[in-house]
Amino acid sequence: MSETTPEADPRRLAEEARDRVHFEEEALELADQVYRVARRLVSTREEAEDLMQETYARAFRAWRSFQPGTNLRAWLLRILTNLNIDRGRRQQRSPDFQPLEEGDYYLYNRLEESGREANADQERVDDRLSQDDVVQALSAVPHDFRDVIVLVDIGDFSYADAAQILEIPIGTVMSRLHRGRRILKRELAGEAVTSA
Amino acid sequence: MSFPGGVEVDPCEKCEEMLQPYLDKQLSDAEIAEAEAHLQGCSYCRKRYVFEEELRMFVRQAAVEEMPPDLKQKLADLRTPLF
Repeated sequence: MSETTPEADPRRLAEEARDRVHFEEEALELADQVYRVARRLVSTREEAEDLMQETYARAFRAWRSFQPGTNLRAWLLRILTNLNIDRGRRQQRSPDFQPLEEGDYYLYNRLEESGREANADQERVDDRLSQDDVVQALSAVPHDFRDVIVLVDIGDFSYADAAQILEIPIGTVMSRLHRGRRILKRELAGEAVTSA
Repeated sequence: MSFPGGVEVDPCEKCEEMLQPYLDKQLSDAEIAEAEAHLQGCSYCRKRYVFEEELRMFVRQAAVEEMPPDLKQKLADLRTPLF
């Protein structure tokens, strides 16, 4: 018969405290990586900072529900994306886009067409696009598509992780990614050609 | 290129469709071989594949904004006090 003895309680409490401290330290070590994703999911630095603080406050309260050995960064991002939705930042539905005529070569073709160097053999990305172009173009991509681009292309999450974080089927991750990248390239073409 | 049913598909158009799954490593071995055979002989597509790969790296780097230094302390302050 197992019975909690007065001696066992302090030991259990000490073990729990140790596990909690370990969890908190690991979560804090990931903060830089989580922030990079958070920053591109929202529009401003202030929003990203608020969201990070809410996420970590919730994670520290709910630490027992994290399963050790699983992906802590994905777990934190799942909390963060849920909070982002709860806060109503994404209540507006993404507009239904007309079918995109532009294919995957669109950006290259536009840059080539607008190239000043008539005989440029090869377009170089960093000759024609600036960091600001990327930030502007990314912020113009509708949320549903931007979320997957940010998680997969910037946060380095697998399709499966992104599906779990966003609670959508993996096929939806793939189709949004495909379409989102095309939208991003269309926006980049607009930025690059305007600033050329 | 001719397919059953007689539909003609422009090989560069097909190569363009394979661009994203190719870079994402989502193609089958047969599809990879098909894409690479086309790329070997087609500088038009090859330049665009190289560009896409560079673009992905550029976007990844350009989108990074480091965490403000004081935020980490604010997050650490949210930890549960030990006593």
